[in-house]
Amino acid sequence: MTPERRTVALDGRQVRLLVGGSGPPLLYLHSLGGDVEWLEAHDQLARRFTVHLPAHPGFAESTGVEDVDGMFDYVLHYVDLLGALRLRAVPVVGASLGGWIGAELAALYPERVARLVLVDAVGLWIDAAPIGELFGSTPPELARMIFHDQQHPIAQMMHAMTNLSEVPEDFAYAQLKALEAAARVGWNPYLHDPKLERRLGRVTAPTLVLWGRQDGLVPLVYGERYRDRIPGARLEVIERCGHLPPIERPADFAARTLDFLSA
Amino acid sequence: MNDVAYWKNVPVRVWEFAIGGYQVMKKWLSYRELKLLGRALTKDEVRYVSEMARRIAAILARQTARMRIAVVGNALPLYNPPIRVAEEYAMIDVISGGRLIAGMVVGGGPEYYSNGLNPAEARGRFNEALDLILRCWTEPGPFVHNGKHYKLRYVNPWPTPLQKPHPPIWIPGAGSYETMDFVARRRWAYMGIPYFHKRVFKKNFDYFREACAKEGYTAAPEQMGWLVPVYVAESDARAREEYESHLWYFARKLLPGINITPPGYTSARSALKVLGAFGDFMLNVNTWDEIVAGGYAIVGSPATVREQMAEMARWLGVGNVLTLLQLGTLPADLTRRNMELFAAEVMPHLRRELDLPVAPAAAASGA
Repeated sequence: MTPERRTVALDGRQVRLLVGGSGPPLLYLHSLGGDVEWLEAHDQLARRFTVHLPAHPGFAESTGVEDVDGMFDYVLHYVDLLGALRLRAVPVVGASLGGWIGAELAALYPERVARLVLVDAVGLWIDAAPIGELFGSTPPELARMIFHDQQHPIAQMMHAMTNLSEVPEDFAYAQLKALEAAARVGWNPYLHDPKLERRLGRVTAPTLVLWGRQDGLVPLVYGERYRDRIPGARLEVIERCGHLPPIERPADFAARTLDFLSA
Repeated sequence: MNDVAYWKNVPVRVWEFAIGGYQVMKKWLSYRELKLLGRALTKDEVRYVSEMARRIAAILARQTARMRIAVVGNALPLYNPPIRVAEEYAMIDVISGGRLIAGMVVGGGPEYYSNGLNPAEARGRFNEALDLILRCWTEPGPFVHNGKHYKLRYVNPWPTPLQKPHPPIWIPGAGSYETMDFVARRRWAYMGIPYFHKRVFKKNFDYFREACAKEGYTAAPEQMGWLVPVYVAESDARAREEYESHLWYFARKLLPGINITPPGYTSARSALKVLGAFGDFMLNVNTWDEIVAGGYAIVGSPATVREQMAEMARWLGVGNVLTLLQLGTLPADLTRRNMELFAAEVMPHLRRELDLPVAPAAAASGA
């Protein structure tokens, strides 16, 4: 399906918002892996929900990244966006970076999050299992951390990028911008908020934690930690899947998410 | 300090170095004696004494009447607060009798990994630190600084530079638009970082001249500097024979990693431009012919080096030529001979040929 493309003005910032599907609203918070654009996973979710897919500030055509100094700015940005969309409490699905935003949102503004799905989310830190190097890795190194199936078309494309100067310019530009935005919230402390783990006790939304068994960037122990710290949370593991279930296993990801949200 | 606690290898000249009646190292330490301080020196303080010794040694080594001292490696964002840089530079300027050229750099990409500093803040911190340093040099303290990155209720730096309003400022860069636009706007001097093909220098200096034109003035040649590895020997053949293996050691063993560009370190637009130039980077050069043709290094007899350097300096339109006379594994004896030959057989000729003053004039030091 083709989603509707909207631009939402928010206190001087512009948000690129894709909206598609029918049913109650759902907020999808994307990762750095390409799910900022409408993919098969969104199609599947859109069969039962009106999926709202905003691009974070600094991603795609969304502006305002200059004012982002940390995760709180992202969280407040989404509180503002929900307000502008007149959405009081919504189910939130967040992958990787988007999962971190979702977890913070659910802990700080529990009344805005009806249900929460965290997919291979960053945001926590475990000394014994450090999160892999996102910023300093080459595309082939990243592909090995992120994908279980190295034959996946995106993994194949990343393996071909051994020489950065040969990467198509628009693709490289989008990646550089996305990484800059991620660095603004996650350079140091590295992709986590040291106080989030404690705050997770504040989450009131029923929560599903979804994790790819072979996630080499954010290992499964992080999924277990989220499950242990969020009251009543459940963990489901997707087999033969890396860091990005919405991209590597869209059907499985969507089926589990819809089951949970419809329960 | 006594028979039990001491610093090794501090030459007597360094220890006895005095400004007026003020014996610098002894004075600093005397304020920090155990009975005054009530504690032993911290690790940082001990390290600071070594740094102080090195700085004094550097000043002594350069104790000449005319030569300028260009310090071009202080990455401002790595200092917190950056007032430290203002004071250290001012100290060198005072001790050297106003001969400092103050280099200000953003720092290399890898430094943002090893210092835990957010590269997305690199430009913001650099700009704010630089403004603060200029304020330290030109405005009597104490004053308040309330910036985005640094909040200081009392800024009261000492000393201030001997050169007024402040020492000339040089900013090196690898061709990012932000840096060139910024230097053009402030009317300072831009130094091209080496190890690129000569066409990269040319492109960058052309962009810089345009940026100056956009600011409403013509760039002075002294606002541009070309930094290049140079090796001089008796003949072309001998120069190559003595130098080549050391150059390849540098290019293949020491250069890799320098091209790390963390996210946000420059704008995505500039990052693409710099990435695009990597094909023209010494890291990707494989043959001696490419080294020569690309002007990555100037190597040969005095006549060859004179001719090539004069031609390049004219073609690039630069008023400062900065030489790297040691590179990689080039040993001390060859380095010394290289320097002697360069000073005796190349430098005087270049000065005449390019009509440069004997003591290289600094770039305009106005704000």
